[in-house]
Amino acid sequence: MKHLTLAAAVAAISITGFAAPALALDVEAAKGLAEQNNCMQCHGLRKDKDGPSFLTIADKYRGKAGAADEVVKHMTSGKKVKLADGSQEDHKVAKTIPPNDAAQLKNLAAYILSIQAK
Amino acid sequence: MSTQESGKQGLWATLRKPSAKYSLLGLLVIGFFGGIIFWGGFNTSMEATNTMRFCIGCHEMKDNVYEEYKYTIHYSNRTGVRASCSDCHVPKDWTNKIIRKIQASQEVWGKLTGVIDTKEKFEAHRLVMAEREWARMKATNSIECRNCHDFDAMSPELQKKTPYKKHMEAKKEGKTCIECHQGIAHKLPKGFKKPGTEEEEE
Repeated sequence: MKHLTLAAAVAAISITGFAAPALALDVEAAKGLAEQNNCMQCHGLRKDKDGPSFLTIADKYRGKAGAADEVVKHMTSGKKVKLADGSQEDHKVAKTIPPNDAAQLKNLAAYILSIQAK
Repeated sequence: MSTQESGKQGLWATLRKPSAKYSLLGLLVIGFFGGIIFWGGFNTSMEATNTMRFCIGCHEMKDNVYEEYKYTIHYSNRTGVRASCSDCHVPKDWTNKIIRKIQASQEVWGKLTGVIDTKEKFEAHRLVMAEREWARMKATNSIECRNCHDFDAMSPELQKKTPYKKHMEAKKEGKTCIECHQGIAHKLPKGFKKPGTEEEEE
């Protein structure tokens, strides 16, 4: 009986998708954070500028596990990046209000990774 | 002639009449020190309205823009130089400062009528207020920013390459600071897109 109850619970969780709740992407909040951090000065949505477009970034990571974490790391570590003209520069560290808000940064990463070719 | 009219004439006549009791030197000394006290008091009061403590005396500022500003580079940074509210929102020179203070008296009316007395109301008005302030700053060629920042003082060696390139382009195009740096110390209004970064349709 105990095993049956457990199996039913697991089945219910699997059906409803409750076991792995994914946070809903808030596109407006992601765009707002990108504007606040001047991301669009160097990145286009689908057009490469001094930096790669969000689409180029999404294509690079598409289908890869841990892509969102990688993108967050890229946005927050200030690592050296290669610009379109071949020169190198420290990437701007994305800031949130309140500081280092993982949820806001992950949401922006998820938005970048969600961009598809038209 | 009515009694009131004769009274007025009497006062005016007294003011115009040379003093028979006090010496000219005495009156000059009193006028001189009286002027200093008045002028000093006026400017001290004016400066008091420029302090951060005064600005966040209203919960509308304290709970919204001040909270955001606390996490920005103009509040806390590597070198410990802080730009307070008035450093960015009130011109330093006397004439422009007085003009700004007179304009700001409208904000007292806003406070009394509770235009932005809740978070929801503040957010609903954020774009209008922000655009008004950006327009004011653009009209003065970002006078407050330029108290500390100057295109010509930017070092190509010390500034990152991309910002330096963009600053020099802006200088060439005759742009002013606020045209690109909206929201540098506060959250941008929801849905606001900076000019020049418009994107293709999603």
